[in-house]
Formats: sequence, structure tokens, C-alpha cells
Amino acid sequence: MTRMAQDHEPNDDSTDLELIARWKAGDERAATSLVARHSPALARFAVSLGQRTDVDEVVQDTFVRAFGSLHSFRADSSLRTWLFTIERRLILDRRRSERRRRDDTSVDDADAATEFDALDEIVADEAESRVKKAVEQLSRLQKEVFLLRVNEGLSYKEIAEVVGSTEGAARVHYHNAMRAVKESLYV
Amino acid sequence: MFDCADVEMRELLPDMAAGSLDDATRARVEQHLASCAECASELETLHLVRSAYATTPRVDVQRIVAALPKAVPLPERTHGAQPVKRWIDWRVAAALTMISVGGFSLAVARHQSNETRPRDSAAAVASVDTQRARPVKTAVSGGSPSSIHDTTRPVARSGRAASAPQPKAQLAFAGGTDDMDDASIKVLLGALDEMDRAPVAPSAEPDPTPVLPVIKTGQP
Repeated sequence: MTRMAQDHEPNDDSTDLELIARWKAGDERAATSLVARHSPALARFAVSLGQRTDVDEVVQDTFVRAFGSLHSFRADSSLRTWLFTIERRLILDRRRSERRRRDDTSVDDADAATEFDALDEIVADEAESRVKKAVEQLSRLQKEVFLLRVNEGLSYKEIAEVVGSTEGAARVHYHNAMRAVKESLYV
Repeated sequence: MFDCADVEMRELLPDMAAGSLDDATRARVEQHLASCAECASELETLHLVRSAYATTPRVDVQRIVAALPKAVPLPERTHGAQPVKRWIDWRVAAALTMISVGGFSLAVARHQSNETRPRDSAAAVASVDTQRARPVKTAVSGGSPSSIHDTTRPVARSGRAASAPQPKAQLAFAGGTDDMDDASIKVLLGALDEMDRAPVAPSAEPDPTPVLPVIKTGQP
């Protein structure tokens, strides 16, 4: 399957910080550029975290929350890392509230096979299906770290910021996940 | 069993799969891959993962932008406004400080005045016994008993001696004369006599000396 990401990088070549400054000054087009630049990665990350429905809504909520506190953004990390952090927290909160409401649903490790079943209809290629099944069997934290490293190209330092861990712990999670995926595929 | 011992190369494989390595690093990795089956297999797995998770749900950018809060530009500070505000703040702070210090001083003065009154009376009684001229006792506000000065200037003298040399106008002593020896009393009386003999010239100018309260001695 070819990458279907709609990473339509906006024509605006400005950096994130420049766009933020323009938005703060009242330029609404800067907001459009920022959303167009980062929404595909946020949508992918939401799916990788197990968000099956309302991905659009999750991405929107992430941007609304981020722009609501953009004045306090200090650029200690990249904007994308900051957005990932917000989105991850939002998804975990939604998951907790859903779990509380239904009282019998868990999207944790035990339900990885169920998640895979739903995805299996989408993924036609057998090799991709197998690797997806292998990834879904990882623990939630391993999966987050693994996909942020492989799919989004984040460094261990950035991953540590997103998942609230340390750089060393993120590296260990990645290598453990890689070993588990390979064992699942080739053993 | 599946892991290459070259940790550096393994760390670079995700970036190799993403195509984000520079030319030199990519050439090094390719050279390593040519001789390392473990890393070649791992890179293939990474490509599969990227492909499997490449599907991106469609998001409506315009709808998201429409839901965003509006940017509120921060008001710019004018150069003149800030110092005025600081000046006002400073004045308020100074006024509050003066009020609090003044109130405290007044309270202390009243408290000490109450404490020293009996001793003043005793000293005054003692001075009646020894004085020739009637001294005016002035109490310095906030002072201790030792800081009470007897201005031994007669009450009748309201003018200021402009031309005549002034004798030592103030004799400070604490307490009464009971604990003074005879020699000290003589010295004191001599000074009083000297002050009485000093000529007093009337002055055309009003006396700038503030009118000081007279402490009554209790004697008729």
C-alpha cells in the first residue's frame, strides 16, 4: 500500500515559530498553514493510538486546545512534539471517560487483537497485516514509542517529552518493541 | 539472535527508512547493510511498519481553523504610559509608608509619655526646691527621661536676645536633684544665676522658637 498521507505541506515556507508569531499578531492565514502542516501527522498518531472513530474531532480538539494556550508556548520543544503531547493526553482522557461510561471496555494490551480485527478490513496486504498485528500486540507505551520513532521520525528526546518519560527509557522501549515485532514476524 | 551488534547503525535505521539521513550517513548505512543481514531485515520491517501505518484519515483543515480561538494581539505599551504608572505606584507606596511610620511613632510617643510622666513630676518637684528662676520644662516628644531638657529660660522672656551673648541655654539633667551632691547643685545654681543676669533685648522679629508645653509641677 502506498502512503496515503495527505501531508500537503502548505505553500507557506515560514517556520512554525514565525507562523505562531504571525497568528499572535492577528494573521488568521498563519493558523491555516499550521493546521495544514501538522494535522496529517496528528491524524496518523491518533490512529496509531487506537483511535478508530472521531479522528477528525480529536485532531480539531488538539488544535483548539493548543491554540488556546499558544501564548504560553515557549518553543522549548518543537510545535509538533507539543501537539503530539496534547493529542495523546486528549485521547487518554477520552479513553478513560469511555471506559468509565461503558464499564467493560478496555483498549489496553488485552484488546490489541480486537483492534487489529477492525483494522484488518482496511489493510489488504498480508505482510502489512502481519506487521500491524505484531505492532498491536505491543504494550501501549511500547507501541507509542515505536510508532513515534518509525512513523513520525521523532528523536528519543522528543518521544520522551510526548510520553512523559526519559530519553533512555524511550530508547529501551523502542528496542524492546523492535525485538518483539521481529519475533512475532519471523519466529 | 536478530540484533546487530553495531548499535550506532541500528539507531540510524528508522531515519534510513524515513529517508531523512544526509548523503554521507546514508552511504555509511548502505555500506553496512550490504554486509549485515540483521540490519537489512530490520530495515525491511521498518518499511513495512511505515507502509502499514501510512494511511492518514482525512481531516478538514478549514473546519478546524474555523473552530480555533481568535488571536488577540497583545496591547503594545507606549513609552509614556509606563513611567506615569510607576510614579503613581511610588507615590502611593510612599504615602502608605509615611502613614504607617507616623502612626507607629505617635503610638510610641504616647506610650513613653505616659511612662515618663510620674518621673517628670518628681524631677519638677525637685527643681522647685532648688530653682531661683522658674524654669520651663520642655518634654521632647518620643524621648526618654534622660532626654528631657530643662530650658532654664524664665517664662517671662519671650523675646530673643539678639545682641547679647547667650549663656548656655540648656542644662540637661536626668531625674531630680535629690541624688545630686552639693557641688553639682552649686554648679547648677551658678548657671541659673548667670542666665538671670544676662541682658535680654527685645526683638522686632517674632520669636521663631516654637511654644513648648509647660509641664506643671503640681505645686501652687
